[in-house]
Amino acid sequence: MKTNTQLQTDMEKIDLSTDIVVIGGGYTGLKAAARISESGYHVILVPQKNIGDFNFSVLDVPSTEIDRIKALEKDVANNSNVEILPASTLTEATGLPGDFTLKFASADAVIEKKAGAIVVATDIAVNPLNHIYGLNPAANVISLSEFENLLASEDAKKAIQTGEKTVAFLVGFAHEGSPLLMKRILNSVSEVVGLDGCSAYVYVNNIKVADDGLERLYKQCRDNGAIYFKLETAPTVTQENDSLTVRFHDPVIRKDIELNPDIIVYEESMIADEANLSLAEILRIDQGPMGFLQKENVHRLPVNSNREGIFVVGSSREVQSLSKSWSDVDNMVLRVKQFIGDGTKSISAKAVVDREKCVTCLTCYRCCPHGAISWDDKAIISPIACQGCGICASECPMDAIQIVDFTDDEMAERIKAATSVAAANTPKIVAFCCQNSAYEAGMTAKTFNYPLPAGLELIKVPCAGKIDIHHILNALVEGADGVLVLACHHGNCKSESGNTYAKWRINDAYRKLEEIGIEKDCLEFQTLASNMASDFARIVIDMEKRISQKKE
Amino acid sequence: MEPKNVMIIGGGIAGMAAAWELAEAGLHVDLVEKSGFLGGHAIGYTCKATSECLQCGACSVEKMLKDVVGNDKINVRLSTEIETIEKNNGYSVKLKKSAAFIDGKKCTNCGICYDKLKENEIIMQGYSKNNVPLYAINPEKIDENKIALKEVCPEGAIFVSDKASHEDLTADAIVVATGFDPFNPERKATYGYAKFPNVISGLDLERIKRQNGFPARPSDGKAAQKIAFIQCVGSRDENLGNLWCSQVCCPYALRTAESLKYKNPDLDITIFYMDIQNTGKSFPAFYESCKNDIRFIRNIPVDIFPAENDNLNMRLFDEAQGISVMEPFDLVILSTGIMPNSGNEKLSAQMGIALDEDGFFKNSDELNKTSTSNDAIFIAGTAQGPKTIAASMAHAGQAASGVLNYLGVNK
Repeated sequence: MKTNTQLQTDMEKIDLSTDIVVIGGGYTGLKAAARISESGYHVILVPQKNIGDFNFSVLDVPSTEIDRIKALEKDVANNSNVEILPASTLTEATGLPGDFTLKFASADAVIEKKAGAIVVATDIAVNPLNHIYGLNPAANVISLSEFENLLASEDAKKAIQTGEKTVAFLVGFAHEGSPLLMKRILNSVSEVVGLDGCSAYVYVNNIKVADDGLERLYKQCRDNGAIYFKLETAPTVTQENDSLTVRFHDPVIRKDIELNPDIIVYEESMIADEANLSLAEILRIDQGPMGFLQKENVHRLPVNSNREGIFVVGSSREVQSLSKSWSDVDNMVLRVKQFIGDGTKSISAKAVVDREKCVTCLTCYRCCPHGAISWDDKAIISPIACQGCGICASECPMDAIQIVDFTDDEMAERIKAATSVAAANTPKIVAFCCQNSAYEAGMTAKTFNYPLPAGLELIKVPCAGKIDIHHILNALVEGADGVLVLACHHGNCKSESGNTYAKWRINDAYRKLEEIGIEKDCLEFQTLASNMASDFARIVIDMEKRISQKKE
Repeated sequence: MEPKNVMIIGGGIAGMAAAWELAEAGLHVDLVEKSGFLGGHAIGYTCKATSECLQCGACSVEKMLKDVVGNDKINVRLSTEIETIEKNNGYSVKLKKSAAFIDGKKCTNCGICYDKLKENEIIMQGYSKNNVPLYAINPEKIDENKIALKEVCPEGAIFVSDKASHEDLTADAIVVATGFDPFNPERKATYGYAKFPNVISGLDLERIKRQNGFPARPSDGKAAQKIAFIQCVGSRDENLGNLWCSQVCCPYALRTAESLKYKNPDLDITIFYMDIQNTGKSFPAFYESCKNDIRFIRNIPVDIFPAENDNLNMRLFDEAQGISVMEPFDLVILSTGIMPNSGNEKLSAQMGIALDEDGFFKNSDELNKTSTSNDAIFIAGTAQGPKTIAASMAHAGQAASGVLNYLGVNK
């Protein structure tokens, strides 16, 4: 038994590699390489595909800017601080943030590189959606990308004009789409209505105008003669030889309408790069919705992954225009500078493994949401990658991990102190509060004098995932009439799954209470955000009321 | 070498985020905010979570405010406005501090001033416990309350003088983060805002929710049962000349409706809309769940008519019958849009940087929306155009990155 319950850890000086790997050679990857090297780091650029191999219209690049963007390719190629590994794919990533070891396979070799940080800058892919409309691609039934290519060719454009073509656009029925897709459609519509004798019909569900300048573009097209049909369901389209028919029911005039366009342009989905899947697996970073990297969690925005030292930018994390992707790049540069600095860092451990107790079961390795754990013959926690959430400490079956400032002994002392507070005739309520959410909400409730139970004591934890079943039962044994476990909402946990672990442990505790024959309403799990002081107050007051009523 | 100094105009979410990033990079920051509080409009928003987080980002504002207040490289100057900006070697700025303010060093947050002068509306209470002091003086009510103000504080923390005081500072670079003005719904007279008690704006609903925890009707304090949201109030409106989508109101209405419905499944909620805008990466799945819980009507009502019991009637088009019918609601929420800050013109003239045709600050580079025609001046957040909280923070990060690049601050 330790006499001093505090766990002291020394400041440790750690060297970090100042080489930064950028995966993805599109214009976001190139920009990332350029900006990182400007900040004084050596860049290893792994383009995956051909450098700069991308359709500009897809990224919403103004035609006036294309030359400037293309110049990036040359600049990066001539930059002595950027090393390019052509036609290579990432096959293995080991080591820890600040000191990753990466293996890349090319056709004839495997190259190993060290890196302090990794930036994933994959691009979007484009997928035609004709099948959803039951359309067969033909000379007069084409995808948006194909139509954009036609408009880019003067000859093809002239042919459309001299033919006085009527062009029908189908968008928003095959999928929800995005402002970026809508901008591409509207840019094409704008060109069509600008050609004498040509007309444009846009069959659309929700017009996605939530980006700069889009509502104005939408209106300009309308003023120039474009006709929009806003429908809830897709029109019926028939293709017979060269003749096209679009039929739909107009809900306003309550009539069926039929039109015969010369050309049908169908929408595309803009989807995540298929390389994301293997990158996520190899780098042990979370995947988000629809194959993009980065889960929906406000703590990750804009460019963080769940692991220190690995950043996701541009369309690797969401469908984004080039200007937004480059905004990501600028944000990433801030994070890289903050993380790598000049290549050395003084840091003290937030979690410590007792090597005597550790049996190398690797429970910690599996449950760590930050990828901070490795092992030799025993588990090792990287001080630089560890966020101190304490999920590992609570999951460890050998109790071999202690969290600085939140050791088991310290927690026991705090529980004892919280339950020994004299509160005559009022229920003693112990609330375990995540420091990121409920603790903030509780302190706000106190600061603004919300009515709170006299017998309420808050115990701060680094993450709800640090709340052991022991702590919960211990609080009850020590005399708490009620115990609350207050975590972040699902999808808002900084450690992604701390709240889920807390919920599981509560369920375990319920089972134990049932076995002993104690009613389980003395224990409650709730989720809160830092700005929910009034909800915090309501939850604790409700618990006090419930307990008081039972005591009577 | 002296550390570089950056002035940030506006202490809303974008200004705070830019300040924090620059301070993290080692620069000294003067964060100038004209009101008595940090956090701007964003700090007033409540959490929209159901059983799960709906990614509204309101909690990140609270966190950022805490980080900014706790950072000793950031000098927060509340109740302060820009008087003049002069370009020389960098910028010389003359600041004007309000004639009455609360000294954060002396204030003990006892709340006596607020309790005693509540009825005069001279003292305002902030939203965040981290905003020190918790209270501020309402600049519009200073003149008629000078005597009361001088006497109320037992700590002598309230400073009152006959005229504003001045301070000077120098800056090597400037970030303009002046935010937006909410659209004043009284301009759409047929909606009866400020006339019918139960027609409120989204911002009003936030205040009501914070106070009561549920959507209480202003007329009688009772929980509303049948609620309507009207989208695009002030946005996408040709008649008003507002040719922009405010980008935040669909996410606001959808998340709010879902979170109200989660707390009270019996609520009957209708959203009147033109086009539903996306909320984020998982929008398709989220929108599907919204469609199960909420009635969507693709039509923006023109009029709101008073009905008995302070209810409100709106005309709906019944597609099945092809006729329009009147339907009563007991609370109508106007999703008011984002307008350019009314101070933009003055500031743009003072700094010699342009506004766009809508009155927002114009970015000079299409591929970098924080850029201005002046290399030392950057735009952050809704000063440039409508943005969500998350987008404002990312934009502010980009502005900070631009500042560091401009000042040559590397690793």
